[in-house]
Formats: sequence, structure tokens, C-alpha cells
Amino acid sequence: MKRLVIGIVAVAAMTLSLAACSGTTNTASGGKPTVTLWVDTPRVPQAKAYQKLMAGKQNIKIEVISQADAQTKIALHNRTKSGWPDVIFGSAPDTAQFLDPSNGFAADLTKLVSKKIFDGFGAANSDCKFDGKYYCLKNDLANTVLWYNTKVFKELNLTVPKTMDEFAATALKLRGTGYSAGAIGDQNYYASFLQPSGCPLAAMPKKNTVRIAPSDPKCTRVAELVQPLLDAGVVDKRSNFDAGFIKDVAQKDKVAMTFGPSWFGDFVIKPAASWGVPAGEIAAANMPAWGSKPDNMSGAWGGGVFTVSAHAKFPQAAADAAVWMTTSDAMATADTTPTFPAYGPANKLWEKRISADPYYASNPYPAMAAGANNISQVDRPVRFAFNAQIGSALQVDINSGKSLEAALNSFADSLQKLAPSSGYTVISK
Amino acid sequence: MIAPYLALLIAFGVVPIIVAAVTSMEPSALNPGGGPLNYLQALQDFRFLPALGNVGVFLLLYVPTMLIVVAGMSLLLDTVRGRWNVSLRLAYIVPASLTGASAVLVWYFLLEPTLSPYQDILRALGITQGGQIWRSENLAWIFALMAFFTGAGNWIVVQYGSLQSISEDILEAARIDGANAWQIGWHIKLPLIQKYIVYMGILVFAAGLQVFVEPQLISSSVYPGLAANWSLNQLSYSFAFQSNNLGGAAALSLMLLIVCIVGAVFVIFRTDFFEGSGVKEK
Amino acid sequence: MTSILEAEPIINRSASKGHLPEKLTAAGRVGRTGVWVMLLVYGLLSVVPMVWLLIAPSKTAAQLNNDAPFSFGSFANYGSAWEHLLTFQDGVLVRWLLNSVVYTVAIVLLSCVSAILAGYALAVTAIPFKRTLLITTLVAMIIPPVALVIPLFIEISNAQLFDTPAAVILTSSFYPFGVFLAYIYFSTSIPKELYEAAKVDGAGEFATFWRIALPLSKGLFGMLAFFSFSASWVNFFLPYVLLGSAENFTLPVGLGVLFSSTPALNPGNGAQQSVIGRPEIALAGLILAIPILIVFLLSSRLLVRGVLSGSVKS
Repeated sequence: MKRLVIGIVAVAAMTLSLAACSGTTNTASGGKPTVTLWVDTPRVPQAKAYQKLMAGKQNIKIEVISQADAQTKIALHNRTKSGWPDVIFGSAPDTAQFLDPSNGFAADLTKLVSKKIFDGFGAANSDCKFDGKYYCLKNDLANTVLWYNTKVFKELNLTVPKTMDEFAATALKLRGTGYSAGAIGDQNYYASFLQPSGCPLAAMPKKNTVRIAPSDPKCTRVAELVQPLLDAGVVDKRSNFDAGFIKDVAQKDKVAMTFGPSWFGDFVIKPAASWGVPAGEIAAANMPAWGSKPDNMSGAWGGGVFTVSAHAKFPQAAADAAVWMTTSDAMATADTTPTFPAYGPANKLWEKRISADPYYASNPYPAMAAGANNISQVDRPVRFAFNAQIGSALQVDINSGKSLEAALNSFADSLQKLAPSSGYTVISK
Repeated sequence: MIAPYLALLIAFGVVPIIVAAVTSMEPSALNPGGGPLNYLQALQDFRFLPALGNVGVFLLLYVPTMLIVVAGMSLLLDTVRGRWNVSLRLAYIVPASLTGASAVLVWYFLLEPTLSPYQDILRALGITQGGQIWRSENLAWIFALMAFFTGAGNWIVVQYGSLQSISEDILEAARIDGANAWQIGWHIKLPLIQKYIVYMGILVFAAGLQVFVEPQLISSSVYPGLAANWSLNQLSYSFAFQSNNLGGAAALSLMLLIVCIVGAVFVIFRTDFFEGSGVKEK
Repeated sequence: MTSILEAEPIINRSASKGHLPEKLTAAGRVGRTGVWVMLLVYGLLSVVPMVWLLIAPSKTAAQLNNDAPFSFGSFANYGSAWEHLLTFQDGVLVRWLLNSVVYTVAIVLLSCVSAILAGYALAVTAIPFKRTLLITTLVAMIIPPVALVIPLFIEISNAQLFDTPAAVILTSSFYPFGVFLAYIYFSTSIPKELYEAAKVDGAGEFATFWRIALPLSKGLFGMLAFFSFSASWVNFFLPYVLLGSAENFTLPVGLGVLFSSTPALNPGNGAQQSVIGRPEIALAGLILAIPILIVFLLSSRLLVRGVLSGSVKS
């Protein structure tokens, strides 16, 4: 028994001394505000620029995380009730989770950020608006456009489709030519087809109610249009990143056209290790319309947001950091800024760079900008793991050759089952 | 003297179970009142049965393969002497160094027909696309393959070790009786190491039940979401850190733990493995 | 998943010097060839992935895609792949490597010392609840460590230890398998008379341990360290859950981050221009695998003696 007591005392002592050690590292140094930023790898250069800018005035700490981990990490720290970042980079669904009272991480930015900034964002920040209040700032927009190969279009005498019916007709002309109208077996089928069509898979008719209705005509028309293209082999069931697709199709310069987000050009189509399409061939066009206005939307694949912590010791400094990260000129003009900035004035600066890029056959910016102002708002950021289900349900079924209708139904079914555990009421019609 | 270990045992063996039991009663969005309902809800989650099925199939593939191959290879190894024996054993434990992250990496390349060193074999089997391999119905096979190569080498060497402890007199007697190598292996050596094989089976089963790293890494890198919530442990992880439902996570963990404890108690009291170790009362 | 830690203790029955080769009949030769084919094929299957991983970083991304799988690129590529890896978060990889080394050393020391002490106490000294302790240890030994991860996370976060090196070191130092091994060793391999003699001379429990048992347990320590090392070096789930910030990560956890946050394996994971491609990822995997491979090969004598039976005796 004596040993038992000694043992318990030993553990208690060890625990205490270690807790004491870890406790001292968290205190702010000498009155200067400390702001901790959690960003993903592509955002590191802007964070470092901010760190440099604030040197002597504020302590900017940078921690690199993987964007997909944002929710998990905050959940961990909610449990330990300490160690939160002051600003975190993530996606809008993360923010939806963070602002829920059960989570309580996200700070209301409506008053911390000036109206001028919100005006500068315009509609681009709509993902961050929840019940009339802003809980995050949008970093970049990743709306879809139609990427096409001008060389192939000339060779086959094709014209750029303006409607989805024309898209289907153009795609069918590729039959037997060895050319492809793109791959859909990843998030692309959602972002470039279902979402622009306005298929309600995360629609929010009212607070905490989500409408997931795969039988809606705006859902069924997508499969009706795309399934024949898939059957004809002009649309690929593989992922855009599938090693086989890249080797057999993309690297052989056989993609005549494909829908894809605005970052596809610089990061998927151009790099030699990826598709490696030669310079001077690729251009971007507006998303073809499903119908007439307002049925001519684009979708979005990606697009990050900065959320500020409600636990921040220096809320204004934290909010200012988030503002700088999303709006500064330095961010917009840095070589390392990857994608289409959401903030209007910054976007103008970025436009200059991409417009002058000799890689593209023509300036892709107008199409990107047109789509950016026209992203479908039918589906809203939700608290449950929507994107993860795209991977584990929709994509898996498409890759394995199931019909698009069946793939959508099993995806929607999994969403309907997932939503209640995050406190949503589900409407399935 | 026993104090340091006892402290660790209590702190990280006993306390976690108590903490988990307490936590498993916590409220969640689904179960605002908290309480034992968490256990039921964990079992009723739409991902539970598929995950149970996945792990079940995985175990059905993995455990028997381990038992048969490990027993077979160690018996074969026992018929070889000298330098070759040493070299083969070294070769067999090489894959054990490829675990977790590096195993996922290596197997991604091995199974991707456009990159694989086995591409000729894969092509001969009609597999030319990664998509033909990386699909949900094949995952149990893939993970079983990964787990098998990670674990088998060590076990072959371990079981070979148990074969070494068989008394030479017994084998000599069998030889004098005219038994050939095959008969000696099957009728004499195997029964003598049988309980080690059974014991290994139970350990392999318990570890397999907890499969996590491989599906988790595949889902977060190469094929996003492909094996999300594929195993029971992943589901428990999702409960905890994605659905804000630590209660459900603790409940599920505890249920898995109980299965393992029952297995452990069975080994200790229902097999003769620990005979003579002072555990059983004489 | 299946770690070597779960290797079973073999209670040795007779120290055999190895058997004589069985005599071959003419008909047996066919079977003999079959045996060799199987042994060699399995050996080949075991070695191929490692060989492939060894040469993968010698190639550029394009060579990896297009050249024959076992063709060699150039030695210079190892260097450039390493430089590229160092650009990832200001060379955080080195930090991970260092963390892994520090944690592993601490875990090996703590786990082995506590295990040897406890094994000795259980085997030789008179302590209360001995049988209960033994059974608890056996149960804990059979339960895979992964089963306790979520409960451990809850406990560690309650104790304010989340995201500290101590969280990983302390939890991983719980080593029931080692205790059991040490217990078996001290109760079977050292003659009781030795302990008795020391006690008669008036030595206390600790003095007896120090003077008699410890000098005889070098082999035991080596083996405990071997199993402890190989389990903690590759451990993923526990540090993955118990650590939060990159500066504290271990190599396996960091590698997971590298996989999921660079476009090498998943270009969809974020638009970025990254120098980290597949050769770099392969090199990182190699850095994780090589230390354990070296330890395995160096410990081969330990393993060759028949993991437990032989070396416990010696």
C-alpha cells in the first residue's frame, strides 16, 4: 500500500511540475500584443510578410497547419480550453462550425472590421455572413470556369459553348478523336456541375434547417446531361489528379476542355509534373449557363477564409491581422499569392499579374472575374463534413463506375444522415 | 521499486478507462441530456455498421493469412541452416520498417499501375488504372496487405525462435522412426508451437480491430475521403473531433476496449499460455 | 498496426543448438526445391518495396513517372530532394527528426527502467497484490495501445499536458510487455539462491537488485530497448492526437502533414507552387524507415537467437 501511495504521489508531482513548465511558455512577452496565426502552407509567405511588417510593434507567431485539419485542431483546443490561435485559415464550413455555440471559437467581426473593408469585398465575402453578421474574411475565390485548349478547338473547328446543352454537344463531337472533355471523378462533379446547376445539397431555408434534395429537377438534370457524355467516353470518370488520367490523357495534351476552378490553370494544367500542357494553348471562358439568368451560375472548389478567435487576448490586433492577410497590396502582388483574391482592390492588383502571364493563349482573368461575381449561393457552408462526404461517397461511386444518379443519391443519403448529429433538421424533398 | 511502473500503470492504464467511462456520459448535439444513450447512438450511427463490416472483412483476410503464412514460412525457414537462414530472416524483417506513413507511401506507389515496380504483373492481371485498385470494395484487401507485410516478418522470426526451443531429442526420435521433413513439420513441430500461434492470432486480432493509420492517411492525402470513417477507430476519431461528440467517441472506444479486454482475459485464463508464470493459482 | 511490441514471450524450455539438417531422399529433392522457391520468393517480396524506396529519391518526378521502376537516377537528386524538403516550413523536418530522437530516447529509458524495476519487484520481492498486478499487466499487454488513445487524450487534456513532449513520453513509457518480460527473466533465469545469499549478507532489496540482478540483465535490457524503440519510433496515432503544434511533432506525424499539405500526393489539397514532389516525399519516407531498418539489422543477432528464448538466457 505504501508503494501505491508513493506511486500516486510521484505521478502527481510529475504532472504538476510539467504543467508548471508548459504554463510559462504561453504568457505574452513584455506588453507587446502577441497574435498567433494558423495558416496552411501557401499562406505562409503572406503571414511572414505581416510578421516583418509588425516587427517591434506586435509579436506575430506563425503555425503551419493543413487546411483540412482546422476543425479538428480547434476541437482539440476547445477540449483543453487553451492554446487557441488568434486567427486561423480554413474554409467557410469550418467557420460555420466555429460560430456554433457548442464550439464558440469564432468571433463576430462585424464591429471589429471597418465597413470600408466589407464594402471592398462586396458579394465575395457572402460565405462569411451568417444570420446577418460576419464571422470570417474570405481569402480567395475558387470559382469554376471553362478551361479550353485553343489549339485543339481550332484543329477540330469547335466553338466555345455558351450553354450546357452546347457544352454537351461540343463534348460529343470529341467522340472518337481521342480528346477528352475533362474528368469529373473528384470534387469537380460537385463544384462544376451540381453546384452551378443549383442542386440543393446543403441549402438552408432557415437557421439550423438544411435541405438536401437529390430529386430536385436541378439535380436530376445534371445526371441527364452528363451521363451520356460519360457513357460516350468523352468525360472521364477518373479524378483530375489520377495518375492514370494524367499519364494517358492530360500529359498527352488530350484535354480539349474541362471545367475547373480558377486555380486549375496555374496549378493543375501548367506545371510539368502535373498536366504539363504547353504554353500558348490554354484559355478560360465563362461557365456555360444551364438556363437564362439567374440560372447561369458558377460553382466553387476551394476558397479559404480567415476566422478570428473569440478567445483572443487582443481582439482588435487579431482582427487587423486577418484583415491584412486578406486585403493588403503586399499579399496581392507577391509572387507567392496563389489564387484569385476575394478582396476587390487586392484583386485588381492580382489581375495585372495573371493578365500578363504569357502562358495563357488569351487573358483568363475576365472569365474568372465573371464567375467570381456569380457563384451559386444555393448551398451554404454547413457544420457537418460536407466536403469529406464528396470524397467518401460521391467521388468513390463515380470512380467505380456507378451511375451519376446512384452516386448522387448515396452522397445525399449520407449527408441526410450526417446533418442531424450537427444539430440540423433535414428536409429531403 | 515497482513505484514508477505502478504510477504509469495507474496513470495510463487505469485512469484513462475511468476517464472514458465518465466522458462517455457527456451530452452532445444529438443527445443533449447525455447519459448511456451515447452508447446506443454510437452503435446506431449510419457509419457504424459499414465500419464494423469493413473491419470484419479486414480481420477475416488479415488474421488467417498471418497465421497460415507465418506458421508456414517459419516451418520452411527452420529447414534451412547457416548463412542462408540468417540472410532470409534479415530479408523478412525489412518490410517491418515500413509502417504507418511510409507504408502508405510505398504501397501507393506499389499499387499504382503507372508507377509500380510490379506494373508488368499488374498489367498481366488486366489492371492498368489506379482506379481499378483504389476503390472502396478493395480497401479491406489493400489494408490487409499493408498490415500483413508490416507484421509478418517479425512474427516469422519470432515463431522461428519458438521452433528453436523444440528439443532436439524429440526431432531425432522422429527421424529414427522414419518421419520425413514434411511429417516432422506437420505432426511434430506445428503442434508444439501451436499455442504460440494461437497467442499470436489473438494479438493480431486485437491489433487489427484497432486499424487506424492506413485508412486515415490514405483519406487525408492520396485519395481524399476514400477511406474516411472506414474503421471503427476512425469513426471514434470523427465523433470526437469533427462532430464535437466526445461522449460518443469515448463510448465507442470503451466498447472496443472491452472487446479487447475480454480477449485478453480469455487468453490468460482459458489458454495454457501463461501457465507457470505465477498468474494462475495452482 | 501490428508492432513488434506484441511479440510473445517464449518461456524457454531447452536451449537447443539448432537441429541437424533432415536427410534428403531422392523424392524429397523436388520438395526441397519448392521450399527454396517459396523462401526466396517471399524474401524477394519483402525486399522489393525497400529497394524501390531506396532508389526513388534518386530520380526526378518525371523520371519516377516515366522511367523503369528500378532504374537509378543520380546521387545528386538525393541532395536536391533533401534541400527541397528543408524548404518545407523552414526545415521543420529536422525538428521532427530531432523530436523523434529525443522522445524515443526518453521513452526507451523510462519504459525500460520502470519495466526492469517492476519485473524484479514482482519476481523477487514480496509485495502485496502481486497476482492482481500481474494479471492487470497481462491484460494491459494484450490490449493494443491504440485502444486507449481517445481516453488518453481526454485525460491528458484534463491534466493540461496536451501538446507537450511529456504527453507523448509519459503515455508511451507505460510498458506492460516489458514488465512481463523482465518478470519472466528474473523469476526463471537467475537462480533464487543468488538473491537469498545477498539477503543473508544483509543487503536490502534495492542493494540486491543493484549488485546481483542488474549486472546479469544486460541482454534483457537490450531486448526491452529494442522492442520499446521499434514501437515508439513509428508510433502514429498517439502523438497524432496528443500533439497540436508542428514544433512538437514526431517524424511519423510530420510525415502525415507533409503528405496531406503538399501537392505531391494530392494536388487538390491547395493550390500552391511547391518544390515538394514525389521524390521528396519518398526521401522523407526513407528517413523515417532507415533508422528502424538499421536497428533491426543491428539487432539481428538478438532476433537470430530466437527473439526471446535465446537472449533471455544468455
